[in-house]
Amino acid sequence: MSETFAVEVENVSKSFEAVKALDGVTLRVRRGEIYGLLGPNGAGKTTLIRALVGLVEAHAGTVTVLGQRMPNVGVLHHVGYMTQQAALYPGLSVEENVRFFGAINGAEEGVKEALELVQLYERRRSVVATLSGGMRQRCSLACALVHKPQLLLLDEPTVGVDPQLRVQFWEEFRRMAAAGTTIIVSSHVMDEAERCQRLGLIQFGRLLAEGTPAEIRTMGGSQNLEEAFLALAGVKAS
Amino acid sequence: MSGHRVAAITRRLLQQFRRDHRTLALLFVAPIVILGLLGYLIRGSASAPEVGVAIEDQGPLGATVAAALDRSSLIKTTTVAASDGDGRLKDGSLVAYIVFPADFSRQAQAGSIAPEVHLEGSQPGTAGPVLQALQQALISAVAQAPGQTIRVQPHVTYLYGGPGFDTLDYFGAAFIGLVVFFLVFVVTIVSFLNERSQGTLERLMASPLRRGEIVLGYMLGFTVLALIQSIEVLIFSLAVLHVHNSGNVALIFVIEALMAIGAVNLGIFLSMFARTEFQAVQFIPLVVVPQLLLSGILFPVSSEPRPLQVLSNVLPLTYAVNGLRDVMIKGADLTWSSLQLDVGVVVGFVFLVLVAGVATLRRRIA
Repeated sequence: MSETFAVEVENVSKSFEAVKALDGVTLRVRRGEIYGLLGPNGAGKTTLIRALVGLVEAHAGTVTVLGQRMPNVGVLHHVGYMTQQAALYPGLSVEENVRFFGAINGAEEGVKEALELVQLYERRRSVVATLSGGMRQRCSLACALVHKPQLLLLDEPTVGVDPQLRVQFWEEFRRMAAAGTTIIVSSHVMDEAERCQRLGLIQFGRLLAEGTPAEIRTMGGSQNLEEAFLALAGVKAS
Repeated sequence: MSGHRVAAITRRLLQQFRRDHRTLALLFVAPIVILGLLGYLIRGSASAPEVGVAIEDQGPLGATVAAALDRSSLIKTTTVAASDGDGRLKDGSLVAYIVFPADFSRQAQAGSIAPEVHLEGSQPGTAGPVLQALQQALISAVAQAPGQTIRVQPHVTYLYGGPGFDTLDYFGAAFIGLVVFFLVFVVTIVSFLNERSQGTLERLMASPLRRGEIVLGYMLGFTVLALIQSIEVLIFSLAVLHVHNSGNVALIFVIEALMAIGAVNLGIFLSMFARTEFQAVQFIPLVVVPQLLLSGILFPVSSEPRPLQVLSNVLPLTYAVNGLRDVMIKGADLTWSSLQLDVGVVVGFVFLVLVAGVATLRRRIA
């Protein structure tokens, strides 16, 4: 059991029929770190995140989350998971959704706090079906962090969120990380990647490179993270 | 109007179905299966209702009429002792028995005969052929003794129901269960599928919730709705439609509620095998039609061709329907071994689908 790492992924492979979604991935995420999973669509980011919560069982390798070998239902009390598509109950109000996800994670309180954080407290009585895409995304985030998880997994959390709110999201992520929450964010947006403390570049189910944004830029030989990523991807793919 | 654009839509539609084997099977295999089943059910069951004949007549007429009855194609006769008759009606081996009393021939000489007709009575369709066959037999028997007008006043008694017992009384008992089962099943399977398609099930599975907790929570939630519906259906059937009931209302409710809970769990279980609501809807004819045809709702299981009876005896709805009819028409209670069996099978079914639902929950989302 490790105190320093919130997440340890050891040589994990997973295939869906002929497609190798994960191909020997090894990475470690420290407690209180904001770790960005970067890669094109279909690279394996979502599969990796699903392996972290035990929804996907690896064919090979081990996944350890908060010191527990996955799959492990007990550890999920301390994990918040925001899925790519805003998975909410459209017939319930914002508040009812957040309260429900709090309740199944064992948290009866914190609903107001979570709603204020995503700036939906005023809209708490609105039925989710009537909300815009960005608002749903915010509601979905509130559902993922209402129980104050130690590890927050965010699968492309800012899709459809406007720039100002995106900045606020990131400020909040940083605040949570400073308070000890580990955050893993998947994204294919490079300016979000800049905000992470460390990045893992994933392509074809393999971890191409890992490091701080500065280190990635150096590795890729470019001042621009996007170009660096493309350079790394090109080199490794060929 | 552009022919090309119309053709594009038509082509796209057919292309779509080419990859949707399930829908193709539903379109082209299901009608054959359903119609085939129906045909086999109706044509394959040649058995005429079984009627017992007890000849106590000291004169010759009883035997003559009995012989005429024996030749009737409407019924199948067997000789019974009048004292065994009620027992044979109760165990279901006879639908009726006819007694020609000791003074039957003497009655004829007096110009008025009164054969006793004892009907089982729970199936409204069977009284007709029995009385018709008796009528014909009497006419042909009396014709052999001409020169005399004899009035026929059969003395008809019913073990269950009564002369006012109609088709609704017979089907009502079964439909109370069927309506609840069917509607609850549809609502459950579609909303559980919603949970999948809107992605919330993935979230549930990534939470500390255990599979059993999800299924149980669902079951309780829908059971609340199902029970309210059961009460509504029951009150409407008894108070508004006046469906015949000789049994305990609480017992009817228990059977109805068990079916509803079974339907909830069947819905959860089968939703594992569908990816979209469209596919879920396709389960409806698969689940409902065979049960409708084979569970004895429309045709008594005992009149089905043998191979189909085997199938009927596996369907849980058969037992529920039988139980409801026993309670409502025959006034059965839990001391009846047949009702114990019916309720036991339904409880077993509820348990089986509950366990199956929990066991298969993880399958589809991984």
